[in-house]
Amino acid sequence: MFILRFLARRLFQGAIIVFLVSALIFTLLRVVPGDPVRLMAGGMAPEALIEQIATDMGLRDPIWQQFGRYIGGVVQGDLGQSFVRPANGAAVGGASFDDTTRSERAEVLTLIADTAPMTLQLALLAMGFALVIAVPIGVWGGLRPGGWPDRMALYLSSLFVSLPNFWLGIVLALVLSVKLQLMPAIGYKGFAYAILPALVLAIEIAPFLIRTLTVSVAGVMGQNFIDIARVRGLTRDQIVFRHALKNSSIPLLNLIGVQFSMLLGGVLVIEFIFDYPGLGLLTINAVMQRDFPLIQGIAIVTAAAFVLINIVVDLVATTIDPRLEY
Amino acid sequence: MSSIDITAAPAEPLRERKVSARIWRLAFASIEFRIGLAVLVLLIAAAVLYPSLSGIDPVKMNIKAKLTPPLFMGEGWAWSHPLGTDQLGRDMLVRALVGLRYSLLIGVSTTVLMLLVGALVGLFAGYFGGRTDMVLMRLTDAQLSIPMIILAITILGVSRPTIPSIILVLGLAGWPVYARVMRSTAMSERKKEYVRGAMVLGATDWRIMFALILPLVLPPMAFVAVLDIARMMIFESVLGFLGLGVQPPTPTFGNIIADGRKYLMNAWWIATMPGVFMVLVLTSINLMGASLERARNAIYGGA
Repeated sequence: MFILRFLARRLFQGAIIVFLVSALIFTLLRVVPGDPVRLMAGGMAPEALIEQIATDMGLRDPIWQQFGRYIGGVVQGDLGQSFVRPANGAAVGGASFDDTTRSERAEVLTLIADTAPMTLQLALLAMGFALVIAVPIGVWGGLRPGGWPDRMALYLSSLFVSLPNFWLGIVLALVLSVKLQLMPAIGYKGFAYAILPALVLAIEIAPFLIRTLTVSVAGVMGQNFIDIARVRGLTRDQIVFRHALKNSSIPLLNLIGVQFSMLLGGVLVIEFIFDYPGLGLLTINAVMQRDFPLIQGIAIVTAAAFVLINIVVDLVATTIDPRLEY
Repeated sequence: MSSIDITAAPAEPLRERKVSARIWRLAFASIEFRIGLAVLVLLIAAAVLYPSLSGIDPVKMNIKAKLTPPLFMGEGWAWSHPLGTDQLGRDMLVRALVGLRYSLLIGVSTTVLMLLVGALVGLFAGYFGGRTDMVLMRLTDAQLSIPMIILAITILGVSRPTIPSIILVLGLAGWPVYARVMRSTAMSERKKEYVRGAMVLGATDWRIMFALILPLVLPPMAFVAVLDIARMMIFESVLGFLGLGVQPPTPTFGNIIADGRKYLMNAWWIATMPGVFMVLVLTSINLMGASLERARNAIYGGA
C-alpha cells in the first residue's frame, strides 16, 4: 500500500516532468532558424512545393496547435514519423524532391527501439568496468582517510576526470586497436566491438564513483557500529565487506541516478567516435539532419528513462537501508 | 555557519573573520593546489605570451613544412615547431595555445553564467518558498532530466554556433545543479536569527536576499564551481569535436582533434598533442578544484 502510493506520486510527478521536457524541446525546435522541409525536399525543390509540403504536414500552424496534435499522439504511444529516414533504412536525406521511393518514412518509436538495446549494452558494460576500476581505489582510499591511498584516489580521479572522452577514445583506438591489434574499434559486428567504447566510458564515470566511495566509506568507518563490530570480534574483512560497503553503496546508487544525464552525454560522443550504432549516434544524426520528430522522441524517451531510473534508485535504496523514507 | 564567526571570535582570536579566506588558506596549504596552480599559471602565461612573442600565425599555412613531427619524434623535426605541424604546415604549439585561450574564455564565462543563473533561481525559490518554489523547482527538475548535451547540440546544431551563443547555451544548460544547492542553503539561512532580525528591523526582501544571504552563501559555492570550469572546457571541446563549437579556421582543442583524426595513421601528433595539453590544463584545474572542495568541506564539517 505504502509502495503503491509512492509509485503513484512519483509517476505523476514524472509525467509532469516529461510533459515539460517535450514542451521545451518542441518550442525550441520551432523557434530556432532552419527549415526542415528545405532539407527534406532537397535544395533544388521550388518554393511553392516546399510551402505545400509544409502546409500538408501542418508545419505552418501555430506552435501550440502543432504541439497539441503531437502530444495527443504521444499519449497514445505514437511518437510520429521521422522527417528524413525512410522505413527500409536505406538512403538518408538530401535526395531529390520528386523521388517517389521516399514516401514510406520510419516510425520514430521503431528507430529508438532498435538502437536502445545497443546503448543499454554499452552502458551496462561501461558501468561494470567503472565499478571494477572505482571500487578498489575508492574503498582503499576511504579506509585510510588522509593517508596515501586517499591521496592516490584524489590524484587518479582528478586525472580521469581531466581526460576528454573523445581524445581518450582516439588514443586508445590508436594504441590498442591499430598498434597492438588487441580489439576492434570502429563499427559494430559483435560484442567485442563494445569493449573499447565501454572502457572509455568507464574511465569517464569512474572518478565520480571514486570520489563518492572515498567520502562515504570514510564516513561509515567512523561510525559507532563499526567500532562495536570490532568489539564483537568480527574480522576486518567482514567489517569492510559486509557492513561498511553495504552502507556506503547508497550514496553510490543516488549518484547513478543523478549522473544519468552525464552518462548519456558520454554515450553520445563515444558512439559517434566509434561509429557504434546506438541511441547516441542516432541523436547526433537526427540533430545534423534537423529531424525534429526524432529529436523530440529521443528527448521524451530519455526524460522518461531519467524519471524511471530515479524511482528505481530510490526503491533499491530503501530495500538496502529500510530506515530511508520514500 | 556564518553567525558562528561573530559569536566565536573572542574565544579564538587567531581565527580569521571571513570563511572564504580560511578556505583559501587551507587549500593553499595542500601540495596538490600548489602544483595545479603552478602548472596552470605557466600554461596561461604561455597562452597569453607565446603566440605574439614567437610571431607565428596560428592559421598561416606553410605547405613546405607540413606534417613535421614533434621534437625528437620521427624524421625531419625542427626546433621552430616544438610540437610539429599539421597537414597544412600550421604550427601545433601555437594552435594548441590559441585553442587554450578560447577554451579558458568559454569555460570561465560559462561557469560564471551558470553560477549566477542557478544562484538567482535557487535564491528566489528557497527564500520565497511556497508556489514560487514549486514552479521554479519543477522547471529545474525538467531541465535536469534533459541531458545537457542533447540540449546543447540541438540548439547549436540548428542555429549557427558563435562564441556568445556557445557560452549562452552551455550556461543555460548547466544551471539546475546550482539552483538546487542554492535553494537548500537559502531555505536554511532564511530561518536563522540574523535574517529574522533584519526582518524585524524592516529590511525589504531584496535587501535581505542580496545584501545579507547572497554574499554569505555564494563564495562557498563558487569554490566548488572551479571544478565546473574544467567540465565546461571539456564540453566546449566536445562541441568543437562534433563541429558545433567555435568554427574553423579559429583553432580550438575540439576542432584540431577532429581534424587530426583523419591523419591519425601518418601523423599521430596532430590529434594527440592538443589532447595532452588539454589533459595538463584540466588536471591542474581539477587538482585545484578538488583541494578547494576538500578545504571547504573541512571547514563546513563535511557538508
